[in-house]
Amino acid sequence: MSKFTRRTVLAGMGAAAAATALPAIPAIAADRSIRHFWWGNPNRDERTFKVIDIFQQHHPEIAVSGETVGWGDYWTKMATQTAGRNMADLVQMDYSLLFEYSRRGALRTLDEHIGNGLDLSNFDKGPLSGGYVDGKLYALNIGSNSQVMPYNTRLLEEAGVTADPITWTRDDYAAACEAITSKTGVKGSDDLSLVTENQEVWARQNGRGFYNEDGTLGFTVEDVSTYWDYWAKLREADLVRSKDKTVILDAPFAEGGMIKGETAMSMMWSNQIVGLQALMQDPVGAGMVPHKADGKPGQFIKPSMFMSLTRDAKDVEAAIMYMSDWVNDPESTAILGLERGIPANPNVRAALEPNFTPPEKVSVDYFNAIQDKVGALPLPAPKGHNEVRDAYMRIGTDVVLGNKGVAEAAEEFVQTASDILERAK
Amino acid sequence: MNATSPELTREMEEAAAVAHRMRVAREKRARNMRLMKHVFLIVMSLIMLYPLLWLVSASFKPENEIFSTLNLWPSEFRLSNYIEGWEGLPISFTTFFTNSLIVTVLSVIGNLLSCSFAAYAFARLQFNGRNFFFALMMMTLMIPYHVVLIPQYVLFLNLGWIDTYLPLIVPKFLASDAFFIFLMVQFFRQLPRELDEAAMIDGYSVYKIYWIIILPLSLPAMATAAIFSFIWVWEDFLPPLIYLNDIKSYTVPLALRLFLASDGTSAYGQMFAMSVLSLVPVVLFFVLFQKLIVRGIATSGMK
Amino acid sequence: MKRFLVRNTPGFVFLTPWLIGFFCLALGPILASLFLSFTHYDMVADPRWIGLDNYLYMFGRDRRFWKALGVTFSFVALAVPARLIMALAVAMLLDKGLRTISFYRAIFYLPSLLGASIAIAILWRQLFLADGVVNKVLALVGFEGPAWISDPHTALYTLVVLAVWQFGAPMLIFLAGLRGIPRDLYEAAEIDGTPKWRQFTRITLPLLAPVIFFNLVLQTIDAFKVFSPAFIISNGTGAPSDSLLVYTVFLFNEAFKFFRMGYASALAWVLLVIIAFFTALAFLSSKYWVHYENERD
Repeated sequence: MSKFTRRTVLAGMGAAAAATALPAIPAIAADRSIRHFWWGNPNRDERTFKVIDIFQQHHPEIAVSGETVGWGDYWTKMATQTAGRNMADLVQMDYSLLFEYSRRGALRTLDEHIGNGLDLSNFDKGPLSGGYVDGKLYALNIGSNSQVMPYNTRLLEEAGVTADPITWTRDDYAAACEAITSKTGVKGSDDLSLVTENQEVWARQNGRGFYNEDGTLGFTVEDVSTYWDYWAKLREADLVRSKDKTVILDAPFAEGGMIKGETAMSMMWSNQIVGLQALMQDPVGAGMVPHKADGKPGQFIKPSMFMSLTRDAKDVEAAIMYMSDWVNDPESTAILGLERGIPANPNVRAALEPNFTPPEKVSVDYFNAIQDKVGALPLPAPKGHNEVRDAYMRIGTDVVLGNKGVAEAAEEFVQTASDILERAK
Repeated sequence: MNATSPELTREMEEAAAVAHRMRVAREKRARNMRLMKHVFLIVMSLIMLYPLLWLVSASFKPENEIFSTLNLWPSEFRLSNYIEGWEGLPISFTTFFTNSLIVTVLSVIGNLLSCSFAAYAFARLQFNGRNFFFALMMMTLMIPYHVVLIPQYVLFLNLGWIDTYLPLIVPKFLASDAFFIFLMVQFFRQLPRELDEAAMIDGYSVYKIYWIIILPLSLPAMATAAIFSFIWVWEDFLPPLIYLNDIKSYTVPLALRLFLASDGTSAYGQMFAMSVLSLVPVVLFFVLFQKLIVRGIATSGMK
Repeated sequence: MKRFLVRNTPGFVFLTPWLIGFFCLALGPILASLFLSFTHYDMVADPRWIGLDNYLYMFGRDRRFWKALGVTFSFVALAVPARLIMALAVAMLLDKGLRTISFYRAIFYLPSLLGASIAIAILWRQLFLADGVVNKVLALVGFEGPAWISDPHTALYTLVVLAVWQFGAPMLIFLAGLRGIPRDLYEAAEIDGTPKWRQFTRITLPLLAPVIFFNLVLQTIDAFKVFSPAFIISNGTGAPSDSLLVYTVFLFNEAFKFFRMGYASALAWVLLVIIAFFTALAFLSSKYWVHYENERD
């Protein structure tokens, strides 16, 4: 087993001939410059470019290049830039991929900059802790969120659902589905059989997690089979969205059941409520993932997005300055608002409060209401998580379509996931 | 001229009548055929057009109507998607269209020149190793692009070409697209060899033969190649995604994706409006250049 | 030596751009991917040599590899002939005398212009879900359609339909080829009273053979490499139940979603060998059915 350096291997083979023929143009001009790369949407891009403008006004000597693409394309481009050792100085990071990138050595630690360029004196400890990997801070929380069960308030009222959506149980939820379907003609809920995020909460309520601390699978066969059974019953009673829509994986947000008027309840992340409301006429409410009677807290508050300093950062000082402004500067934080999640700086939250829009208020009120009802943040997903998630959806599809029995499929998933995690090590 | 017997006359009349009936029947059949052809073409056109109609109608719809109804007719026609969409991203679509046009026009020129060079060599010239090089060229068509992406990125990075249009344009001038070479080879090989021979006797060099005989006679093929290369470069997504960082340098397909969000508020209406506009240059180019394919009839008549 | 130069110079002069492009830009990355196929490479750390492990795992243990291969072969077998026949039929229809021809030509090319855009993905779901447009039309004639795109048994057909529906490119190439066939041949045959179908087999097919050959080879290569339509229709997952897991979607996910670029490179080289095999077959067989105008004697 020998090792090769990247340059000899990748570049050497073809570049040599061309590189001699054409002189390389230096990538960086004389002035200082940093690159910030994030996955976006029209609204987020607009806010972020404004913040870049503000930073430029404060620091005219540092040019900031804002680079944005959508979520799916983001990781392709990120992987390519990582392979080429040409990552942007600052990148947006997701909790599910934090381990993949930090453990593989693509990110730099931030510990040495805290209090030394990076001002975190007003930062809540809880949200900050999400960015630690193996005891070191690799990612700065730029917003928090949690699981949420959004519901169509009009339909729930019409159906006479009285259970409190913050404290309701699994049975309450099933009863609500029944009431809604029979009274309004709209199906009670999206079928969440293939939603790993919901399965995770279910397993946590049973006292386990998605993964164990050593990176092996935490779900037991029973966690998976009871979960699939729960939804199978609702499906057989015709209280959830049709199965042909359920098996469309990772479908665009706008094709969700609530938006298309096919269902009254669903599941997503709390920072998406604003986006959901924008596509709906009826007012949206926010409930917790139904609790297990006498179970453990299943939900958790997690960083919705991080900002990370990369291995390839060229001007670390400038990048840290930018990062610090991002979470502290009143002007910038006012523009960023809640778009990426709830800010971890209480001063920022207080300053934003008077200007909340109604859907923003719903999400903040929800966030406050769940504080004492959530469990501890699980460790970031181990290497191989993407593949485990795909396997879950693939095998679950056979359950939803009735091609496989629940018990058999749950066994198959646990086995497959263990194999995947073993291979990814 | 002999007097014809009454039988013969009758027979001739009958024959004429039969012939007439046959002609009428044939004409009727031909008319029916034409009619059926038209009916068939019209029905097919509708199937072919449906998605475009859907796209255009979506571009006029308010955001929350695009996904909730299948109606082709919007409840109200809104131009706002177009007006707001044009300036809906941090950079105006004027910039994106300009970028796309620069990249596409240069690429088309590059493709036509360099690929026709290579195709002429492969199709009509003798040289050592021709088949070997041809096989190598075909091989570049077979490797999935995704696995050469990273080595290529590293290569262009070392050349200092990242965040410029060079990785998108330069390869086009170096005949990187084997599809077009092979396409032109097939057409060049069809041209009669006597033309070259005659030209040789007249003292033309191979270079002049390429320019004066082969290219003009291959107008339909060149027009086809031009159309494809315009469309494909215009719609190309992965290379611009990887090689362009600065949003000011984005091409239209990259910009269109910025309207969408996996985790928040997308602007589908504006995206569809700009998608419709992004089809305009392609359709215009198509309509202009397809005339050249048709005009090929006149030239190939000289065979 | 002089004869060698005289013989070779023009060829290499015309080939120069391609030679520079191939040796400076294309060959390096291709060889790099061959090298990477023998390594474990997660794109962050440096590649680590593991010999034949990727290939052994692929053939011995990776059931999804065989699944992807199966899906791809089915797609090639269904889509290539259907698309070519459609393209040729329409091209012949459009080649002869209708006044409105350029209008139809533009319309028939439109679906291909939409390519594999997001709009197509959304539209395809609106058409082919259980309560979609297609089933509504079928219901009118009293037929209850399946859930097409959500049913693992039928999902691939929607992909084939999309491929056939976007027949614009081969159609245009056929059309350009048909334009090159001298009209007087048909006129002579008409005078001789040769029936239409025999004109087709005696004149059209032989003279169009080089173009048919081109379309056959390229469409087959493209079909083996089909990516975007399957990727957008299944939102990148190959769902439902891997029924849309065509080879390159599998490869792409292995590379960029699961961080196994080494393994993906090995997959790419296996695909290359498969495609090369079929292409070589086509080229060998072409000696018997493709004749070129200038090489006929």
